[in-house]
Amino acid sequence: MLFSIRKGYDPALPGAPRQSVEDAAPVGSAAILGADCPGLRPALAVAAGDPVRRGQVLFTDRRHPAIAYVSPLTGVVEAIDFGPRRTLSAMVLRRTAETGPEDGAGPPAPTGDARETLLARGLWPAFLARPFGRVPAPDGTPVAILVSATDSNPLAPDPRVVLADRRPAFDRGLTVLAALTAGPVFVAQPPGAGLAAAAGDRIRAVEISGPHPAGLPGAQLYRLRPEIGPGKVWTIGYQDVAAIGHLFATGDYRSERVVALGGPRARDPRLVRTIMGASLRDLTSGEVAPGGRGGFARILSGSVLAGREAAWLGRHHHQVTILDARPEARRLSLPRWLGRSRRGPRPLIASERLEGLLPFGIPPVPLMRALAVGDSETAERLGALDLVEEDVALLSCFCTSGADYGRLLRRVLDELAEAA
Amino acid sequence: MNPLTLSAATDAAPFLRGRWEPAQVTLAQAAALLPPLAVVLVAGGGPQALLLATALAVTLFWETLFALLRGRAWSWHGVTTALVVAVMVPAGAPLWQPALALSLGVVLGELIFGGRGFGFLAAGVVALAFLRYSFAAIPFAGDGGAVAIATLPGTALLLYLRLISWRVALAAFLGFAAASLVTGQPLDPGATGASLAFGLVFLICDPFGAASTNAGRWLYGALAGGLAAAFDTAPGAAVAPEAIVFAALLASIFAPLLDHAAVLVIARIRRRRHG
Repeated sequence: MLFSIRKGYDPALPGAPRQSVEDAAPVGSAAILGADCPGLRPALAVAAGDPVRRGQVLFTDRRHPAIAYVSPLTGVVEAIDFGPRRTLSAMVLRRTAETGPEDGAGPPAPTGDARETLLARGLWPAFLARPFGRVPAPDGTPVAILVSATDSNPLAPDPRVVLADRRPAFDRGLTVLAALTAGPVFVAQPPGAGLAAAAGDRIRAVEISGPHPAGLPGAQLYRLRPEIGPGKVWTIGYQDVAAIGHLFATGDYRSERVVALGGPRARDPRLVRTIMGASLRDLTSGEVAPGGRGGFARILSGSVLAGREAAWLGRHHHQVTILDARPEARRLSLPRWLGRSRRGPRPLIASERLEGLLPFGIPPVPLMRALAVGDSETAERLGALDLVEEDVALLSCFCTSGADYGRLLRRVLDELAEAA
Repeated sequence: MNPLTLSAATDAAPFLRGRWEPAQVTLAQAAALLPPLAVVLVAGGGPQALLLATALAVTLFWETLFALLRGRAWSWHGVTTALVVAVMVPAGAPLWQPALALSLGVVLGELIFGGRGFGFLAAGVVALAFLRYSFAAIPFAGDGGAVAIATLPGTALLLYLRLISWRVALAAFLGFAAASLVTGQPLDPGATGASLAFGLVFLICDPFGAASTNAGRWLYGALAGGLAAAFDTAPGAAVAPEAIVFAALLASIFAPLLDHAAVLVIARIRRRRHG
């Protein structure tokens, strides 16, 4: 199956990464972030100062005790920070010794049920269930699973390069996924990637081409929907599928993550091998090119479209973008001249340009208006349940209002999730 | 509305932003209006310049007053409204008449909604409609061949920047032609096109009065074009500017309804597709 998606936009940015994987200097610390599992209240299995091994359970979700979160490295628990209402803010882990892959000599290769193994061994949070884009419930069953071995974000790594030496693990991971659903497991990939070519009748290759957001699960799912029918669909990143395959083959929790270091201030834009939740300060030390205003740089976890300024690599992020630091706000004399006037809301100008950005069969301007006023009923009717934040990032880029439609969409989705 | 630039000023995603802000849209529209304005000024001379100055002063007065009253940033969007009126209204009438119409147009068409982009009407259309209703003795201009030719560069600019929709323009043209065939009005590419050009680009296609979905744009354009032909009582192939003004006004009023209908259809198609 080949889908060529026409709508979208590929922004041109300096600092595209060289598509070859190199080892990065090992990071000194890593973190599990509350930002990746919003609202999660942890039931702790470790305390600050405890030594942990890679793959060891750190905490479980209080609401779903079956879902375990595990350590990406061998070291000690340095800090556990809580947000409001005892939700997790971050659990920071510090590496204690230079250790190779053999240090996680954990239990042998799992033989039991795929679902239980994924839950207990910390790979369940790799899934995101649509609608809403949250970690699925432990007893949920999707009508289909979508693996997106595509990445159309600006300056993203090429999944074909990342998976080049992990094909057996990836294929093994796909068979594990097939055990979780009675429906199909779609493997979205660039044309000619040849992934999952002969993996089984329920594992289906889908070739996707087109500008961003064609590489995001949202756009792919919209094209696959008529075939799948209604119901929950889980999405998972390609590197997590390889990690699942590795776990089932060897029993080892592989926290390795290949990320693209790119952006206008990246000294040597390339792909590097690091770990999940890696400290971005450690990862980017010596990677920031001098220049810019004052020399400071901003480090984003994720792309310029959907990433966030962060100290740690996000769970679902496959790239780190290094940008110029924010300049000092220029003083405008006109508002000052008007004395007490402040910057009011700016209007949305319904330019035809917006029409070509959303490959979801959703008219953009009515959606933007519904999101701007928090009209969840209209947003749902328009198809907001098929979207998550990253899918509407281009609208925020091109809209004259300056609104962040991702944040507005999340507010609407939270409201709909509560009502559901 | 290209290209995107890395914006160092944003605190949250996306860190990439288009450079377009509403004030720059106004700048582009004002630039597009300059050639027809120059033609009118050359033809009208001093009195026309006085009318232009009055129009600018009135709109900026209201913009400033509302900025102060509402405690919001001052904007100069009213300038394009003033320019449209200065092109369409010939000098000669007492200046307070267009000034009053402009005041009503800017305030009721735009500012009471919260400023440009928050309402559903184009302020210039509202002002011209007021002027027509209240002071019917003032004839509208804007149908000269020179003005039509001078509209072309601005049209190209606005189309390139996607600030006017080619769908609306084409649909209006088709709607006008179809309605003219029905009413049996003569169609002459030269005269009809010349009389239609300015009103089509700056009144009917104004993004703040037009529909905002692609299907809605087709319907809106066809409605506006059809109404313009229906309202046109002037003999001959040329279209009366009044007809375009009132067609744009009525079509703008119907634009949200057309959008709503389009959204209903799109949502239904989507439901059927997704099962």
